[in-house]
Amino acid sequence: MAIDLSTRAPRTVPSGYRAGHLARGPRSWSARELLVLSWLAPLLFALAWEAVCRFGGMNEQVMPAPSAVLATAWTLVKDGSLFVHLGYSLLRAATGFLIGGGIGFGLGLIVGFSRLAEALLDRSIQMIRAIPFLALLPLVIVWFGVDEAGKIFLVSLGVLFPIYINTVLGIRQVDPKLLEVAKVTGLSLRGRITKIILPGAMPSILTGVRYALAVAWLALVIAETIATTKGIGFLAMDAREFLQTNVIVLTIVIYAAIGVIADGIARALERRLLAWHPNYAREERR
Amino acid sequence: MSAAVTVRALRRRYGERVVIEGLDLRIETGEFVAMLGESGCGKTTLLRALAGLDPVDGGRIDGPAQPAVVFQEHRLLPWAPLWQNVALGIETPEAKPQAVAALREVGLAGRENDWPRNLSGGQSQRVALARALVREPRLLLLDEPFAALDALTRIKMHALIKDLVARHRPGVLLVTHDVDEAIAIADRILVMRAGRIAASYDVAAETEAGSDRLRGKLLGELGVTLHDRAA
Repeated sequence: MAIDLSTRAPRTVPSGYRAGHLARGPRSWSARELLVLSWLAPLLFALAWEAVCRFGGMNEQVMPAPSAVLATAWTLVKDGSLFVHLGYSLLRAATGFLIGGGIGFGLGLIVGFSRLAEALLDRSIQMIRAIPFLALLPLVIVWFGVDEAGKIFLVSLGVLFPIYINTVLGIRQVDPKLLEVAKVTGLSLRGRITKIILPGAMPSILTGVRYALAVAWLALVIAETIATTKGIGFLAMDAREFLQTNVIVLTIVIYAAIGVIADGIARALERRLLAWHPNYAREERR
Repeated sequence: MSAAVTVRALRRRYGERVVIEGLDLRIETGEFVAMLGESGCGKTTLLRALAGLDPVDGGRIDGPAQPAVVFQEHRLLPWAPLWQNVALGIETPEAKPQAVAALREVGLAGRENDWPRNLSGGQSQRVALARALVREPRLLLLDEPFAALDALTRIKMHALIKDLVARHRPGVLLVTHDVDEAIAIADRILVMRAGRIAASYDVAAETEAGSDRLRGKLLGELGVTLHDRAA
Protein backbone atom coordinates (compact mmCIF):
# COMPACT_ATOMS: atom_id res chain seq x y z
CA MET A 1 0.00 0.00 0.00
CA ALA A 2 1.34 3.38 -0.98
CA ILE A 3 0.60 5.19 2.22
CA ASP A 4 3.16 7.31 3.98
CA LEU A 5 3.37 5.37 7.20
CA SER A 6 5.90 7.57 8.89
CA THR A 7 3.33 10.31 9.62
CA ARG A 8 1.18 7.81 11.38
CA ALA A 9 3.83 6.25 13.53
CA PRO A 10 3.46 8.27 16.74
CA ARG A 11 -0.30 7.77 16.85
CA THR A 12 -0.80 4.10 16.18
CA VAL A 13 0.99 3.01 19.31
CA PRO A 14 -0.73 4.54 22.33
CA SER A 15 1.90 5.25 24.92
CA GLY A 16 0.09 3.27 27.60
CA TYR A 17 0.32 0.07 25.60
CA ARG A 18 3.89 0.69 24.67
CA ALA A 19 4.85 1.18 28.30
CA GLY A 20 3.18 -2.13 29.15
CA HIS A 21 5.11 -3.95 26.48
CA LEU A 22 8.39 -2.39 27.45
CA ALA A 23 7.83 -3.35 31.05
CA ARG A 24 7.71 -6.95 29.96
CA GLY A 25 10.78 -6.51 27.89
CA PRO A 26 10.40 -7.85 24.38
CA ARG A 27 9.98 -4.89 21.95
CA SER A 28 7.67 -2.20 20.68
CA TRP A 29 5.94 -2.67 17.34
CA SER A 30 6.49 -0.28 14.47
CA ALA A 31 3.51 1.16 12.62
CA ARG A 32 4.36 -0.89 9.54
CA GLU A 33 4.44 -4.12 11.50
CA LEU A 34 1.11 -3.32 13.12
CA LEU A 35 -0.42 -2.60 9.73
CA VAL A 36 0.76 -5.98 8.46
CA LEU A 37 -0.57 -7.65 11.60
CA SER A 38 -3.97 -6.01 11.17
CA TRP A 39 -4.34 -7.86 7.85
CA LEU A 40 -3.26 -11.15 9.38
CA ALA A 41 -6.65 -12.13 10.83
CA PRO A 42 -8.68 -11.57 7.62
CA LEU A 43 -6.03 -13.46 5.67
CA LEU A 44 -6.06 -16.40 8.06
CA PHE A 45 -9.84 -16.41 7.91
CA ALA A 46 -9.79 -16.62 4.10
CA LEU A 47 -7.23 -19.42 4.24
CA ALA A 48 -9.32 -21.36 6.75
CA TRP A 49 -12.40 -20.87 4.59
CA GLU A 50 -10.50 -22.17 1.57
CA ALA A 51 -9.24 -25.17 3.54
CA VAL A 52 -12.72 -26.10 4.78
CA CYS A 53 -14.09 -25.92 1.25
CA ARG A 54 -11.29 -28.04 -0.23
CA PHE A 55 -10.72 -30.64 2.42
CA GLY A 56 -13.65 -30.34 4.78
CA GLY A 57 -16.25 -31.60 2.33
CA MET A 58 -18.20 -28.31 2.28
CA ASN A 59 -20.82 -28.41 -0.50
CA GLU A 60 -19.83 -25.66 -2.95
CA GLN A 61 -23.53 -24.98 -3.63
CA VAL A 62 -23.75 -23.79 -0.03
CA MET A 63 -20.47 -21.91 0.25
CA PRO A 64 -17.93 -21.69 -2.55
CA ALA A 65 -14.22 -21.39 -1.79
CA PRO A 66 -12.58 -17.95 -2.08
CA SER A 67 -10.57 -19.25 -5.00
CA ALA A 68 -13.76 -20.22 -6.81
CA VAL A 69 -15.22 -16.76 -6.20
CA LEU A 70 -12.02 -15.18 -7.51
CA ALA A 71 -12.11 -17.43 -10.58
CA THR A 72 -15.71 -16.38 -11.23
CA ALA A 73 -14.74 -12.74 -10.87
CA TRP A 74 -11.92 -13.24 -13.36
CA THR A 75 -14.29 -14.87 -15.89
CA LEU A 76 -16.73 -11.96 -15.61
CA VAL A 77 -13.89 -9.47 -15.90
CA LYS A 78 -12.58 -11.19 -19.04
CA ASP A 79 -15.88 -11.11 -20.89
CA GLY A 80 -16.40 -7.53 -19.67
CA SER A 81 -19.83 -8.18 -18.18
CA LEU A 82 -18.71 -7.38 -14.62
CA PHE A 83 -17.85 -3.81 -15.65
CA VAL A 84 -21.15 -3.38 -17.46
CA HIS A 85 -23.13 -4.44 -14.39
CA LEU A 86 -20.91 -2.50 -12.02
CA GLY A 87 -21.21 0.55 -14.27
CA TYR A 88 -25.00 0.40 -14.21
CA SER A 89 -25.11 0.05 -10.44
CA LEU A 90 -22.65 2.90 -9.86
CA LEU A 91 -24.49 5.12 -12.30
CA ARG A 92 -27.82 4.49 -10.52
CA ALA A 93 -26.29 5.14 -7.12
CA ALA A 94 -24.48 8.29 -8.28
CA THR A 95 -27.52 9.70 -10.10
CA GLY A 96 -29.82 8.95 -7.18
CA PHE A 97 -27.30 10.41 -4.73
CA LEU A 98 -26.90 13.61 -6.74
CA ILE A 99 -30.64 14.11 -7.22
CA GLY A 100 -31.67 13.19 -3.66
CA GLY A 101 -28.64 14.87 -2.11
CA GLY A 102 -29.18 17.99 -4.19
CA ILE A 103 -32.85 18.27 -3.25
CA GLY A 104 -32.13 17.47 0.41
CA PHE A 105 -29.35 20.05 0.56
CA GLY A 106 -31.44 22.67 -1.22
CA LEU A 107 -34.45 22.15 1.05
CA GLY A 108 -32.12 22.08 4.04
CA LEU A 109 -30.64 25.46 3.07
CA ILE A 110 -34.06 27.06 2.58
CA VAL A 111 -35.51 25.68 5.82
CA GLY A 112 -32.26 26.35 7.71
CA PHE A 113 -32.23 30.01 6.74
CA SER A 114 -35.91 30.85 6.91
CA ARG A 115 -38.34 30.28 9.76
CA LEU A 116 -41.13 30.90 7.25
CA ALA A 117 -39.88 28.09 5.00
CA GLU A 118 -39.59 25.90 8.08
CA ALA A 119 -43.23 26.56 8.96
CA LEU A 120 -44.31 25.82 5.40
CA LEU A 121 -42.17 22.80 4.60
CA ASP A 122 -40.65 21.08 7.60
CA ARG A 123 -43.75 19.31 8.91
CA SER A 124 -44.55 17.80 5.50
CA ILE A 125 -40.94 16.66 5.04
CA GLN A 126 -40.88 15.09 8.49
CA MET A 127 -44.16 13.27 7.75
CA ILE A 128 -42.78 11.79 4.54
CA ARG A 129 -39.59 10.91 6.38
CA ALA A 130 -41.61 8.81 8.82
CA ILE A 131 -42.38 6.36 6.00
CA PRO A 132 -39.77 3.61 5.75
CA PHE A 133 -38.81 4.44 2.20
CA LEU A 134 -38.45 0.77 1.22
CA ALA A 135 -42.17 0.34 2.01
CA LEU A 136 -42.82 2.51 -1.05
CA LEU A 137 -41.32 -0.16 -3.31
CA PRO A 138 -44.69 -1.55 -4.63
CA LEU A 139 -45.93 1.98 -5.27
CA VAL A 140 -42.70 2.90 -7.03
CA ILE A 141 -43.15 -0.05 -9.38
CA VAL A 142 -46.70 1.09 -10.17
CA TRP A 143 -45.55 4.68 -10.75
CA PHE A 144 -42.36 4.16 -12.67
CA GLY A 145 -42.59 0.58 -13.89
CA VAL A 146 -39.40 -1.43 -13.60
CA ASP A 147 -37.22 1.06 -15.49
CA GLU A 148 -34.25 3.08 -14.31
CA ALA A 149 -36.47 5.91 -13.08
CA GLY A 150 -37.98 3.85 -10.27
CA LYS A 151 -34.58 2.70 -9.01
CA ILE A 152 -33.13 6.18 -9.08
CA PHE A 153 -36.23 7.52 -7.36
CA LEU A 154 -35.81 5.03 -4.53
CA VAL A 155 -32.13 5.89 -4.02
CA SER A 156 -32.91 9.63 -4.17
CA LEU A 157 -35.64 9.28 -1.58
CA GLY A 158 -33.37 7.39 0.79
CA VAL A 159 -30.57 9.94 0.42
CA LEU A 160 -32.74 13.04 0.67
CA PHE A 161 -33.64 12.90 4.35
CA PRO A 162 -30.29 12.39 6.07
CA ILE A 163 -28.82 15.23 3.99
CA TYR A 164 -31.84 17.48 4.64
CA ILE A 165 -31.92 16.94 8.38
CA ASN A 166 -28.19 17.40 8.90
CA THR A 167 -28.08 20.51 6.72
CA VAL A 168 -30.88 22.19 8.68
CA LEU A 169 -29.30 21.13 11.97
CA GLY A 170 -25.86 22.35 10.91
CA ILE A 171 -27.14 25.76 9.87
CA ARG A 172 -29.16 26.19 13.05
CA GLN A 173 -26.17 25.31 15.20
CA VAL A 174 -23.95 28.06 13.81
CA ASP A 175 -22.83 30.25 16.71
CA PRO A 176 -24.93 33.47 16.79
CA LYS A 177 -21.88 35.23 18.25
CA LEU A 178 -20.05 34.65 14.97
CA LEU A 179 -22.98 36.17 13.10
CA GLU A 180 -22.56 39.28 15.26
CA VAL A 181 -18.95 39.41 14.12
CA ALA A 182 -20.23 39.28 10.53
CA LYS A 183 -22.40 42.29 11.32
CA VAL A 184 -19.66 44.42 12.90
CA THR A 185 -17.18 43.59 10.13
CA GLY A 186 -19.72 44.60 7.49
CA LEU A 187 -19.68 41.17 5.84
CA SER A 188 -22.01 40.91 2.83
CA LEU A 189 -24.89 38.44 2.80
CA ARG A 190 -22.95 36.28 0.37
CA GLY A 191 -19.89 36.39 2.62
CA ARG A 192 -22.04 35.56 5.61
CA ILE A 193 -23.29 32.41 3.88
CA THR A 194 -20.02 31.25 2.33
CA LYS A 195 -17.63 32.26 5.12
CA ILE A 196 -19.65 31.64 8.28
CA ILE A 197 -22.82 29.62 7.84
CA LEU A 198 -21.73 26.94 5.38
CA PRO A 199 -18.33 26.23 7.00
CA GLY A 200 -20.03 26.19 10.39
CA ALA A 201 -22.64 23.72 9.15
CA MET A 202 -20.09 21.56 7.30
CA PRO A 203 -19.34 18.99 10.04
CA SER A 204 -23.05 18.25 10.34
CA ILE A 205 -23.60 18.18 6.57
CA LEU A 206 -20.74 15.71 6.10
CA THR A 207 -22.19 13.45 8.77
CA GLY A 208 -25.35 13.48 6.64
CA VAL A 209 -23.36 12.66 3.52
CA ARG A 210 -21.71 9.70 5.18
CA TYR A 211 -24.99 8.33 6.41
CA ALA A 212 -26.63 8.98 3.05
CA LEU A 213 -23.95 6.97 1.25
CA ALA A 214 -24.84 3.94 3.34
CA VAL A 215 -28.55 4.45 2.70
CA ALA A 216 -27.93 4.85 -1.04
CA TRP A 217 -26.33 1.40 -1.15
CA LEU A 218 -29.12 -0.18 0.82
CA ALA A 219 -31.71 1.36 -1.51
CA LEU A 220 -29.76 0.16 -4.51
CA VAL A 221 -29.56 -3.43 -3.31
CA ILE A 222 -33.33 -3.50 -2.89
CA ALA A 223 -34.10 -1.57 -6.08
CA GLU A 224 -31.93 -3.87 -8.17
CA THR A 225 -33.87 -6.94 -7.11
CA ILE A 226 -36.89 -5.62 -9.04
CA ALA A 227 -36.94 -7.03 -12.56
CA THR A 228 -33.75 -5.80 -14.15
CA THR A 229 -31.35 -6.99 -16.77
CA LYS A 230 -28.33 -4.96 -15.70
CA GLY A 231 -26.56 -4.23 -12.45
CA ILE A 232 -24.92 -6.05 -9.56
CA GLY A 233 -28.35 -6.82 -8.11
CA PHE A 234 -29.38 -8.44 -11.37
CA LEU A 235 -26.22 -10.57 -11.26
CA ALA A 236 -27.22 -11.82 -7.83
CA MET A 237 -30.85 -12.51 -8.78
CA ASP A 238 -29.84 -14.24 -11.99
CA ALA A 239 -27.28 -16.37 -10.14
CA ARG A 240 -29.90 -17.39 -7.61
CA GLU A 241 -32.09 -18.75 -10.45
CA PHE A 242 -29.25 -21.00 -11.56
CA LEU A 243 -27.86 -21.73 -8.09
CA GLN A 244 -24.51 -20.10 -8.93
CA THR A 245 -23.49 -19.56 -5.35
CA ASN A 246 -20.05 -18.30 -6.32
CA VAL A 247 -21.62 -15.41 -8.27
CA ILE A 248 -23.92 -14.60 -5.35
CA VAL A 249 -20.97 -14.45 -2.98
CA LEU A 250 -19.07 -12.33 -5.49
CA THR A 251 -21.89 -9.76 -5.63
CA ILE A 252 -21.95 -9.57 -1.84
CA VAL A 253 -18.19 -8.99 -1.81
CA ILE A 254 -18.58 -6.28 -4.44
CA TYR A 255 -21.29 -4.49 -2.43
CA ALA A 256 -19.06 -4.65 0.62
CA ALA A 257 -16.04 -3.33 -1.27
CA ILE A 258 -18.01 -0.43 -2.71
CA GLY A 259 -19.35 0.37 0.75
CA VAL A 260 -15.79 0.54 2.09
CA ILE A 261 -14.71 2.75 -0.80
CA ALA A 262 -17.69 5.09 -0.32
CA ASP A 263 -16.85 5.41 3.35
CA GLY A 264 -13.25 6.15 2.43
CA ILE A 265 -14.40 8.93 0.11
CA ALA A 266 -16.56 10.42 2.86
CA ARG A 267 -13.61 10.35 5.26
CA ALA A 268 -11.32 11.95 2.71
CA LEU A 269 -13.91 14.72 2.29
CA GLU A 270 -14.02 15.23 6.04
CA ARG A 271 -10.24 15.41 6.30
CA ARG A 272 -10.09 17.91 3.50
CA LEU A 273 -13.05 20.14 4.37
CA LEU A 274 -12.65 19.94 8.14
CA ALA A 275 -8.88 20.40 8.32
CA TRP A 276 -9.51 23.24 10.79
CA HIS A 277 -11.47 21.00 13.14
CA PRO A 278 -9.50 19.53 16.06
CA ASN A 279 -11.29 16.17 15.70
CA TYR A 280 -10.31 15.78 12.06
CA ALA A 281 -7.04 17.66 12.17
CA ARG A 282 -4.74 14.64 12.00
CA GLU A 283 -5.24 11.35 10.37
CA GLU A 284 -7.32 9.22 12.63
CA ARG A 285 -8.32 5.61 12.44
CA ARG A 286 -11.79 5.05 13.73
CA MET B 1 -11.07 68.28 18.18
CA SER B 2 -13.51 66.30 16.13
CA ALA B 3 -15.85 63.81 17.73
CA ALA B 4 -15.53 60.11 16.98
CA VAL B 5 -19.05 59.66 18.26
CA THR B 6 -21.73 61.84 19.86
CA VAL B 7 -24.69 60.41 21.74
CA ARG B 8 -27.66 62.53 22.79
CA ALA B 9 -30.56 61.59 25.06
CA LEU B 10 -30.16 57.89 24.36
CA ARG B 11 -32.94 55.66 25.66
CA ARG B 12 -33.22 51.87 25.68
CA ARG B 13 -35.84 49.67 27.31
CA TYR B 14 -36.31 45.94 27.63
CA GLY B 15 -40.07 45.63 27.96
CA GLU B 16 -41.01 47.65 31.04
CA ARG B 17 -37.47 47.91 32.37
CA VAL B 18 -35.55 51.05 31.39
CA VAL B 19 -31.87 50.24 30.91
CA ILE B 20 -30.58 53.51 29.49
CA GLU B 21 -32.36 56.83 30.06
CA GLY B 22 -31.28 60.23 28.74
CA LEU B 23 -27.64 59.34 28.24
CA ASP B 24 -25.29 61.90 26.67
CA LEU B 25 -21.77 61.03 25.61
CA ARG B 26 -19.09 62.47 23.38
CA ILE B 27 -15.85 60.71 22.54
CA GLU B 28 -13.15 62.66 20.69
CA THR B 29 -10.98 61.26 17.94
CA GLY B 30 -7.95 59.64 19.55
CA GLU B 31 -9.51 59.74 23.00
CA PHE B 32 -9.50 56.61 25.15
CA VAL B 33 -12.61 56.46 27.33
CA ALA B 34 -13.20 53.70 29.87
CA MET B 35 -16.67 52.99 31.18
CA LEU B 36 -17.02 51.47 34.64
CA GLY B 37 -20.19 50.30 36.25
CA GLU B 38 -21.73 47.48 38.20
CA SER B 39 -23.23 44.54 36.34
CA GLY B 40 -26.60 45.43 34.87
CA CYS B 41 -25.97 49.19 34.87
CA GLY B 42 -26.43 49.34 31.10
CA LYS B 43 -22.83 49.74 29.97
CA THR B 44 -22.81 46.69 27.69
CA THR B 45 -26.22 47.74 26.35
CA LEU B 46 -24.72 51.12 25.47
CA LEU B 47 -21.80 49.49 23.69
CA ARG B 48 -24.05 47.17 21.71
CA ALA B 49 -26.24 50.11 20.71
CA LEU B 50 -23.17 52.03 19.49
CA ALA B 51 -22.04 48.92 17.57
CA GLY B 52 -25.40 48.72 15.81
CA LEU B 53 -26.05 45.27 17.28
CA ASP B 54 -29.10 46.33 19.30
CA PRO B 55 -31.78 48.87 18.42
CA VAL B 56 -32.42 52.01 20.50
CA ASP B 57 -35.77 53.37 21.65
CA GLY B 58 -34.95 57.04 21.52
CA GLY B 59 -32.21 59.65 21.17
CA ARG B 60 -29.48 60.12 18.62
CA ILE B 61 -26.16 58.50 17.83
CA ASP B 62 -23.90 60.45 15.45
CA GLY B 63 -20.92 58.34 14.59
CA PRO B 64 -19.42 56.06 11.98
CA ALA B 65 -21.85 53.63 10.34
CA GLN B 66 -19.67 50.73 11.34
CA PRO B 67 -17.47 50.99 14.40
CA ALA B 68 -15.00 48.18 15.04
CA VAL B 69 -15.74 45.91 18.00
CA VAL B 70 -13.63 43.57 20.13
CA PHE B 71 -15.69 41.26 22.33
CA GLN B 72 -14.85 39.52 25.56
CA GLU B 73 -14.37 36.28 23.62
CA HIS B 74 -12.10 36.42 20.58
CA ARG B 75 -14.86 35.16 18.28
CA LEU B 76 -12.48 33.97 15.58
CA LEU B 77 -13.80 31.69 12.85
CA PRO B 78 -12.19 28.33 13.64
CA TRP B 79 -12.30 27.28 9.96
CA ALA B 80 -10.46 30.30 8.61
CA PRO B 81 -6.70 30.91 8.82
CA LEU B 82 -5.70 33.97 10.80
CA TRP B 83 -5.31 36.35 7.87
CA GLN B 84 -8.83 35.53 6.63
CA ASN B 85 -10.17 36.17 10.10
CA VAL B 86 -8.49 39.57 10.16
CA ALA B 87 -9.59 40.45 6.61
CA LEU B 88 -13.20 39.38 7.20
CA GLY B 89 -15.54 41.69 5.32
CA ILE B 90 -12.74 43.45 3.40
CA GLU B 91 -13.24 42.66 -0.26
CA THR B 92 -10.37 44.49 -1.95
CA PRO B 93 -7.29 42.87 -3.50
CA GLU B 94 -5.20 44.40 -0.70
CA ALA B 95 -7.11 42.47 1.96
CA LYS B 96 -4.37 39.89 2.51
CA PRO B 97 -1.35 42.24 2.68
CA GLN B 98 -3.33 44.51 5.00
CA ALA B 99 -4.24 41.57 7.23
CA VAL B 100 -0.63 40.37 7.32
CA ALA B 101 0.53 43.84 8.28
CA ALA B 102 -2.11 44.08 11.01
CA LEU B 103 -1.03 40.72 12.42
CA ARG B 104 2.59 41.90 12.44
CA GLU B 105 1.47 44.99 14.33
CA VAL B 106 -0.07 42.92 17.13
CA GLY B 107 3.05 40.76 17.38
CA LEU B 108 1.92 37.80 15.28
CA ALA B 109 4.19 38.23 12.27
CA GLY B 110 4.40 35.16 10.05
CA ARG B 111 1.38 33.47 11.63
CA GLU B 112 -1.08 34.52 8.88
CA ASN B 113 -1.70 30.97 7.65
CA ASP B 114 -2.01 29.38 11.08
CA TRP B 115 -5.34 28.14 12.49
CA PRO B 116 -7.04 29.83 15.46
CA ARG B 117 -6.95 26.58 17.45
CA ASN B 118 -3.15 26.82 17.67
CA LEU B 119 -3.30 30.12 19.56
CA SER B 120 -3.35 30.89 23.28
CA GLY B 121 -6.09 33.07 24.75
CA GLY B 122 -3.93 36.19 24.63
CA GLN B 123 -2.83 35.53 21.06
CA SER B 124 -6.44 34.99 19.97
CA GLN B 125 -7.40 38.32 21.48
CA ARG B 126 -4.49 39.94 19.61
CA VAL B 127 -5.95 38.61 16.37
CA ALA B 128 -9.33 40.05 17.36
CA LEU B 129 -7.59 43.42 17.88
CA ALA B 130 -5.95 43.13 14.47
CA ARG B 131 -9.34 42.36 12.95
CA ALA B 132 -10.74 45.53 14.50
CA LEU B 133 -7.81 47.83 13.62
CA VAL B 134 -7.22 46.67 10.04
CA ARG B 135 -10.37 48.63 9.14
CA GLU B 136 -8.83 51.88 10.47
CA PRO B 137 -12.03 52.58 12.44
CA ARG B 138 -12.99 56.06 13.63
CA LEU B 139 -14.53 54.43 16.69
CA LEU B 140 -13.27 51.32 18.46
CA LEU B 141 -15.55 49.56 20.95
CA LEU B 142 -13.99 47.19 23.47
CA ASP B 143 -16.36 45.00 25.49
CA GLU B 144 -14.26 43.70 28.41
CA PRO B 145 -11.74 42.31 25.92
CA PHE B 146 -9.14 41.36 28.52
CA ALA B 147 -11.43 39.98 31.22
CA ALA B 148 -10.78 36.35 30.35
CA LEU B 149 -6.97 36.66 30.23
CA ASP B 150 -4.51 35.90 33.00
CA ALA B 151 -3.02 38.83 34.92
CA LEU B 152 0.38 38.88 33.19
CA THR B 153 -1.10 38.59 29.70
CA ARG B 154 -3.53 41.37 30.60
CA ILE B 155 -0.70 43.76 31.49
CA LYS B 156 0.99 43.05 28.16
CA MET B 157 -2.29 43.62 26.34
CA HIS B 158 -2.75 46.98 28.11
CA ALA B 159 0.60 48.15 26.77
CA LEU B 160 -0.24 46.85 23.29
CA ILE B 161 -3.67 48.49 23.09
CA LYS B 162 -2.33 51.84 24.34
CA ASP B 163 0.36 51.73 21.71
CA LEU B 164 -2.05 50.77 18.93
CA VAL B 165 -4.57 53.46 19.84
CA ALA B 166 -1.83 56.10 19.95
CA ARG B 167 -0.79 55.09 16.45
CA HIS B 168 -4.21 54.68 14.79
CA ARG B 169 -6.01 57.34 16.85
CA PRO B 170 -9.58 56.02 16.85
CA GLY B 171 -11.96 57.17 19.54
CA VAL B 172 -12.16 54.28 22.02
CA LEU B 173 -14.88 53.17 24.39
CA LEU B 174 -13.69 50.43 26.74
CA VAL B 175 -16.30 48.75 28.90
CA THR B 176 -14.72 47.08 31.91
CA HIS B 177 -15.19 46.00 35.51
CA ASP B 178 -11.56 46.53 36.32
CA VAL B 179 -10.76 49.87 37.98
CA ASP B 180 -7.00 49.37 37.68
CA GLU B 181 -7.32 48.55 33.99
CA ALA B 182 -9.30 51.73 33.42
CA ILE B 183 -6.70 53.85 35.25
CA ALA B 184 -3.85 52.15 33.42
CA ILE B 185 -5.04 52.76 29.87
CA ALA B 186 -7.82 55.38 29.68
CA ASP B 187 -7.66 59.17 29.23
CA ARG B 188 -11.08 59.62 30.79
CA ILE B 189 -13.09 57.34 33.03
CA LEU B 190 -16.86 57.39 33.17
CA VAL B 191 -18.96 55.69 35.80
CA MET B 192 -22.37 54.53 34.69
CA ARG B 193 -25.21 54.04 37.12
CA ALA B 194 -28.91 53.35 36.55
CA GLY B 195 -28.77 54.03 32.84
CA ARG B 196 -26.90 57.35 33.03
CA ILE B 197 -23.36 58.60 33.28
CA ALA B 198 -22.98 59.39 36.97
CA ALA B 199 -19.40 60.62 37.09
CA SER B 200 -16.50 61.53 34.82
CA TYR B 201 -12.81 61.66 35.77
CA ASP B 202 -9.89 63.00 33.78
CA VAL B 203 -7.19 60.44 34.49
CA ALA B 204 -4.13 62.69 33.91
CA ALA B 205 -5.46 65.39 36.23
CA GLU B 206 -6.60 62.99 38.93
CA THR B 207 -3.42 60.96 39.06
CA GLU B 208 -0.86 63.77 39.30
CA ALA B 209 -0.26 62.81 42.90
CA GLY B 210 -0.46 59.06 42.31
CA SER B 211 -3.35 56.85 41.29
CA ASP B 212 -4.44 55.63 44.74
CA ARG B 213 -6.83 58.51 45.38
CA LEU B 214 -8.58 58.06 42.02
CA ARG B 215 -8.73 54.34 42.61
CA GLY B 216 -10.43 54.88 45.96
CA LYS B 217 -12.90 57.35 44.46
CA LEU B 218 -13.82 55.01 41.63
CA LEU B 219 -14.27 52.06 43.95
CA GLY B 220 -16.47 54.29 46.10
CA GLU B 221 -18.57 55.15 43.05
CA LEU B 222 -19.00 51.43 42.42
CA GLY B 223 -20.11 50.82 46.00
CA VAL B 224 -16.90 49.23 47.26
CA THR B 225 -15.56 50.66 50.51
CA LEU B 226 -12.06 49.63 51.47
CA HIS B 227 -11.48 48.83 55.14
CA ASP B 228 -8.53 51.14 55.69
CA ARG B 229 -10.49 53.99 54.13
CA ALA B 230 -13.58 53.35 56.18
CA ALA B 231 -11.59 53.45 59.38
